[in-house]
Amino acid sequence: MHRKLFYLFNFLVLGLFVAAGVVDNHREWKGYQKQYKRMEISRLEGELASADAEQKPSLELALKTAKAMPIRLRQAMSPDLNRYDRCVSCHLGIDPETNPAQVNAYAEHPFKAGDIPEHKAHPANKFACTSCHQGQGLATTMEDAHGLVKHWEEPLLRDPYIQGSCVRCHGNFEEIRGTEQAKRGKALFAKIGCIGCHSMKGSGGEVSVDLGDIADKPASRIDWSNTGPLPPHQRNILNWIEMHLTKDTIELIPGDPHGHSCAHLAECEPVAPSGMPPFYEELSYEDAQALTTYMLGMTDKKLPKEFKVPASAKPEPRYADSIEHGKAVFTKFGCAGCHGEGGASGRRNFNALGEGQDKTRIHEVSEMAKGREPTLTKVVGTYSRDELRKKLHDGVAPSSIVKFNPDGPTPPLFMPSWKTKIKGQEMEALLDYLFSIAEKSGEEW
Amino acid sequence: MALPEISLDKIEKEVTNSQIWKSMFRNWPWQDTARHRARHIVDNVWLHLHPAKIQPRALRWTFTWGLGGISFLLFLILTISGVLLMFYYRPTVELAYQDMKDLEFAVSFGIFLRNMHRWCAHAMVTVVMLHMIRVFLTGSYKKPREFNWAVGVILLKLTLFLSFTGYLLPWDQLAIWAVTVGTNMAGATPVLGNEGPFANLLGMTISNDVRFVLLGGTTVGANTLLRFYVMHCVAVPLITGALIILHFWRIRKDTFSAAPLAKNEEKADVWPNLVVREYIAAAAVTAFIFFLSVYANAPLEEIANPNVTPNPSKAPWYFVGLQELLVYFDPWIAGVLLPGIIIGGLCAIPYLDTSKKGIGYYTWSERPFANAQFMFGIAFWFILITIGYFFRGPNYFWYWPWESWLVHKPVSAPTWSFSLPVGVTLLAAYGALGMTLPRLIKSEICWRKASGAFLGLFALVGLWMKFGGDISTWRVVTVGVLLYLTFLFGFLYPQRYIRDLDLPRYTITQALVLMQMGVLVKMGLRLGLDVKYILELPQFNLNI
Repeated sequence: MHRKLFYLFNFLVLGLFVAAGVVDNHREWKGYQKQYKRMEISRLEGELASADAEQKPSLELALKTAKAMPIRLRQAMSPDLNRYDRCVSCHLGIDPETNPAQVNAYAEHPFKAGDIPEHKAHPANKFACTSCHQGQGLATTMEDAHGLVKHWEEPLLRDPYIQGSCVRCHGNFEEIRGTEQAKRGKALFAKIGCIGCHSMKGSGGEVSVDLGDIADKPASRIDWSNTGPLPPHQRNILNWIEMHLTKDTIELIPGDPHGHSCAHLAECEPVAPSGMPPFYEELSYEDAQALTTYMLGMTDKKLPKEFKVPASAKPEPRYADSIEHGKAVFTKFGCAGCHGEGGASGRRNFNALGEGQDKTRIHEVSEMAKGREPTLTKVVGTYSRDELRKKLHDGVAPSSIVKFNPDGPTPPLFMPSWKTKIKGQEMEALLDYLFSIAEKSGEEW
Repeated sequence: MALPEISLDKIEKEVTNSQIWKSMFRNWPWQDTARHRARHIVDNVWLHLHPAKIQPRALRWTFTWGLGGISFLLFLILTISGVLLMFYYRPTVELAYQDMKDLEFAVSFGIFLRNMHRWCAHAMVTVVMLHMIRVFLTGSYKKPREFNWAVGVILLKLTLFLSFTGYLLPWDQLAIWAVTVGTNMAGATPVLGNEGPFANLLGMTISNDVRFVLLGGTTVGANTLLRFYVMHCVAVPLITGALIILHFWRIRKDTFSAAPLAKNEEKADVWPNLVVREYIAAAAVTAFIFFLSVYANAPLEEIANPNVTPNPSKAPWYFVGLQELLVYFDPWIAGVLLPGIIIGGLCAIPYLDTSKKGIGYYTWSERPFANAQFMFGIAFWFILITIGYFFRGPNYFWYWPWESWLVHKPVSAPTWSFSLPVGVTLLAAYGALGMTLPRLIKSEICWRKASGAFLGLFALVGLWMKFGGDISTWRVVTVGVLLYLTFLFGFLYPQRYIRDLDLPRYTITQALVLMQMGVLVKMGLRLGLDVKYILELPQFNLNI
């Protein structure tokens, strides 16, 4: 009995140790390197067969080199950026050591490296890989390296999101090639008026959070309760930003409009859902992607100075008249964010009094969600110039907004005071512009 | 040319007769005689801690379960794998996490080593606890082994501390926050911690108290990592190693096994009978650890970020029971006082329980009080761990294991405290009655009647609570169950079994029992009636 157990466990220990060795030795990247080596050898052999005498010596040398290529872990290093990226253990074509041309000729090889100027401008020995592409550079399996795992918050950025990485260093990214989506995102950001509520590194609206370091937001700070079927390994900032633009934000961040989440209802304050207007209604998926791409460039991570490219100086804009100037002011301060482009349609403000709300269904979220910010084209005409200036000066505090459901939450959006931001000539130009878009009512009364 | 004939026998003879061989193996050639079996033990430095012969009863698997030896084996595996890991690990905040990734992805056998170290550490904590339970149940701590039991208790604490210091080293979110939770308890030490009662006596602040000494700062940071690294790799293993030597030496000196020898029973040879069992246990555990290490990876979360607190932050599993007590008690009780009492109480057991019964064999009927109280404490400890580990979610709210943590829970009801006079009266009554009643009532109490009366009385109170006080049924039942357990273990057991103990032993034993049951009473008051404190003295930061 003991003799049997003695042998059984001895062999079990030995067997498991061998198994550990086999598991350890069997690494995903080895297969990819062998595949690359095979393809390289067969390509060179093919070329050698049809080569003339002049080319033969160099091809033979290349073949010899290819055959001698060791199967080993490789990494691209950028000590300046603290990046040690083992991506090149699988993506061999792009490794300047094995392939000085940095071009992988094999269309059928999964790691075809693009022969693009961006790669040449950012050599791997200075930038490594993950500084732009993100992902987990230290990892050597596909899932881990591409960041498609829990506990890794920087997933591999694919097109178009990778353009967000250009934004991180290139203050002048709008002037370089290959950043079309980021550029489009920035333009959209201004056009739909994000800056009216969100600030950007301290400058901008005060209604919502600062987006200047939004790309750094840790996933654990985010409430993923209402993101539907998003699997845990996809819970990263990219998806969080994009969902704000492709989903109804009331569903994403529902708040507690009825004040139900405390044990004692009497002490419970209702909480409004996210105040972010339903931009998904206006934006195409490509628009949302472009905005997300631009946002992914918004980081506060410290980079060595020599990696930063400053923005180029812009000439002082000139305006044909005061109305055009005012329109620029309207865009600059993001008024469109709440009042719609050109002030033509007020956006959603939960539980504010709006049109078409059914008074008999006062507690329903769908009715409260019909609350609107003022549509400027309609209301500006009811103000005198001095009254409107005062309104812009003082703003409207959240508590002064008329609620649709008096027991419901305070509407999340409000008019901030612009006193310290819009002044002098800008203010007058803005007033000129606002009165120019106001609807002229047919009959005075 | 013909090859020379090879004779294995001849070669063996040549080799074993050589001066080299004979100098290494004192006792050659081996013969299967009683004398040689004894010399195998006596002449071998690794085995000579064993006696040459042992009681047959002690050889049974079900007597010791090999738990002490397995603990030592795990300690050895941990030492070896730990030393190997030290070659790859740099204890700085910039590099520690990166080295974890390197171990997983670039180092040969790196992840295997790390897994082995991790799983062995968890296994060692578990096995050492089980070893203590086994030693208790076989009464093996009794005279002359009282001191060695105390050494064992210290070794258990050192095992926990070794595991805890190692917990920080991967420098991920799991590590930093578990250690933050754990070390925050130190800040609640009475007098010596800045948040503990009487902190102002010695002028304790966050930057000079005992927690500061432990962390090397006010928060878990670079200094903490270095301190924990040195403690984990050098200081604590040295102390543990020294105490293990002492523990083994005392085992040998206090006679190897407490198992009694039946009349006319002959002792059995340790070689091969005990040695082969020890070897098989070691091989089986090694195989189990290897298996785990091949198939399950040690956890590694995001890199440590002092600015992002996970919700919930949990201590390592063996401290989660104490963390669960934080729900019911202030940190100085849950994190300092109770652990201190547990250690002190455990060490005191052999000096309190001087009964000559049940030494060296399992018995419930000969020592019902000791077994019941001890096993109740053990069960309570593991139930608290289970609750803390599996039933607590965000904000430390109660989540069933099948409930998603993404579902928000309503905020729990507000709590209240007794006023000072009421609190003092209640505590004094609990202490005074609890200490005196079991000793003063000399007659035999019929448990069935007493339990019936207690439950009947409580049923009336419960009905009044439910309909008069509008308290939900499950709360009433919780209070009832916990109070009945207190009645059973805090009154009925002591009354029947220890009322005739000498006064010092009775006093200490009953005080320990009352403190253990007091935890239960407080839990009942909180769960059932939302009581925050029984006694509230905010001016001294002293709340019970």
